[in-house]
Amino acid sequence: MRFSIYRFDPDVDPAPRMQPYELGGIEPGMMLLDALLRLKAHDETLSFRRSCGEGVCGSDAMNINGRNGLACITPLEGLREPVVLRPLPAMPVIRDLVVDLSRFYRRYRAVKPFLINYDPEPEVERRQSPEERERLDGLYECILCACCTTACPSFWWNPDRFLGPAALLQAYRFIADSRDQATEERLDALEGPYRLFRCRTIMSCVEVCPKGLNPTRAIGRIRECMVKRSI
Amino acid sequence: MSRRTHGLRGWVLQRLTALYLALFLVYLLAHLILSPPGSVRAWRAWVGDPLVNSAWAVFFAALLMHAWVGVRDVVMDYVGPAGLRLGVLFALGLYLFALGYWALVVLLAAAP
Repeated sequence: MRFSIYRFDPDVDPAPRMQPYELGGIEPGMMLLDALLRLKAHDETLSFRRSCGEGVCGSDAMNINGRNGLACITPLEGLREPVVLRPLPAMPVIRDLVVDLSRFYRRYRAVKPFLINYDPEPEVERRQSPEERERLDGLYECILCACCTTACPSFWWNPDRFLGPAALLQAYRFIADSRDQATEERLDALEGPYRLFRCRTIMSCVEVCPKGLNPTRAIGRIRECMVKRSI
Repeated sequence: MSRRTHGLRGWVLQRLTALYLALFLVYLLAHLILSPPGSVRAWRAWVGDPLVNSAWAVFFAALLMHAWVGVRDVVMDYVGPAGLRLGVLFALGLYLFALGYWALVVLLAAAP
């Protein structure tokens, strides 16, 4: 199987290049990460992140044949050859397929992704009804792989001001949480021309999310909350 | 212009104006198909009807507001330097204002 992989070491290389690789012995059911690990066994300078290998940690997010995804849950079968692998777009490259996600995490931190509750801490856990808990489905499962945010054209144009789909999904996750008491502050923090309202409903985020989540719907719900409180 | 105007208010304004534009265009199309004016005189009489004249005025106002929010968003995405952005937005505002004035003059001329 043929691969074309983005190679760049900023300390040594004057410019990035695409390096061709050839790998034999492809077995049925093999994932892209398995192929990358085999390629690395031959060329240990090839750099990429990986950890759980099961689509849970989100470490091995990369651009696969032009589409963001997780290498560990992308079957080799059906990939067009040569398989073109590039780092996630719009992020500074540290080396090869490894990008600096600091900007992404800053956006995440900006939405205060934790429960804010001003009541005294109860003896038992803060309970929710099954319906209240159900509202968090499709929101809490985000693994912060950055596939969505780095696929978003609005984020490409305004990476320092637009929060991006992953952070906004998390923002709604806490707005929708019946135990959270900071909805007003959260909505205030999302106002303004850039943080939320740069979303143009392009829906690339929905297209690429490896967990099948829908940040566009969450962003729409935040807008609904804003409209409701303003009338 | 406040931050709120840039965010939620602009977003709501764009959707409300889009709704009016869509409804008015359906009405306009239906009118032109079902009872097309046979002459310039008939056309002027129709536009001169106070209700129709007002509906046209709201249509132009909605169109210009819709265009302002939409093009402003594009400018905010693609024009980085603050000075250039301000210049482009000023030119856009001036252009839309001129179009609005022109539409107003035409509608007033047709008004009874």
